[in-house]
Amino acid sequence: MLNYSNVITEAKSYSGLQMKEIKPVMKLMIRGKKREFLSAVGKSLNLLLPTEANTLSRSEKLTALWLSPDEWMIYSNETLKSESNDYETENLLNKNISKTNLGAVTDVTDQFVMINIKGDKIFDLFETGSPFNFNDFRNKKGSVTQTILAKIDVIIHNQNQNEVNLFVRRSFSQHLFSWMNDSASRL
Amino acid sequence: MFLIICPYCGEREQSEFKAGGEAHIVRPKQPTELSDDEWAEYLFMRKNIKGIQFERWNHIHGCRKWFNMVRDTSNDEIKAVYKMGEKPPSI
Repeated sequence: MLNYSNVITEAKSYSGLQMKEIKPVMKLMIRGKKREFLSAVGKSLNLLLPTEANTLSRSEKLTALWLSPDEWMIYSNETLKSESNDYETENLLNKNISKTNLGAVTDVTDQFVMINIKGDKIFDLFETGSPFNFNDFRNKKGSVTQTILAKIDVIIHNQNQNEVNLFVRRSFSQHLFSWMNDSASRL
Repeated sequence: MFLIICPYCGEREQSEFKAGGEAHIVRPKQPTELSDDEWAEYLFMRKNIKGIQFERWNHIHGCRKWFNMVRDTSNDEIKAVYKMGEKPPSI
């Protein structure tokens, strides 16, 4: 059953592993194929979208993750003030992308939950439930992948040495977080 | 279980993909002029070869893109992977 309430209520800590939800973070999905789309996004956000597979690009305020040849996720590097409801980026992209028919912009801020995981056992945890080969991924800062973790679709972003951001759909987040806690307690 | 090289994302495990059946089946240009048998032939009948088969696959838990694959169905050996719209390799 769908669950829209905040399901991850506390940060969890294990030896070599700390997990917590980061919120509120603005998240947008943008889709487009045309060359003009890429340049319009670049000009609007002052951020070039990554065109190489499984990579990202970063500006001072935003990070753009490559998801597919015509799909990117953009999220804010800093948390926003919950009362301010900052839709500035979305409005800007709506104006320059959606209204000019270059591509699609969808606000997925509430759809995805961002879980920040730190520690030297991150990939030991992932290896217990994912078919993805993390050998190259773990050593390459800025790698991005969409894969399965405990049979749940996730987006994983290698932010730093021993630090990853994991995006999961809100309705799956409670189950995934409880699975990660269970799995972490056995590492 | 086997590894598939997605033409967009690279090498991934089979469980991230979904098989989409036989590839390169052309939709008849004038469906209304076909008999029921001919329409059923187009709609339902598949070769289901034991051996080299041209197939469509979807990287459903990754980039969600469709692509084509040439696979030996008897031993799951992948002969070639190519994007939608590209010319099938001669194998």
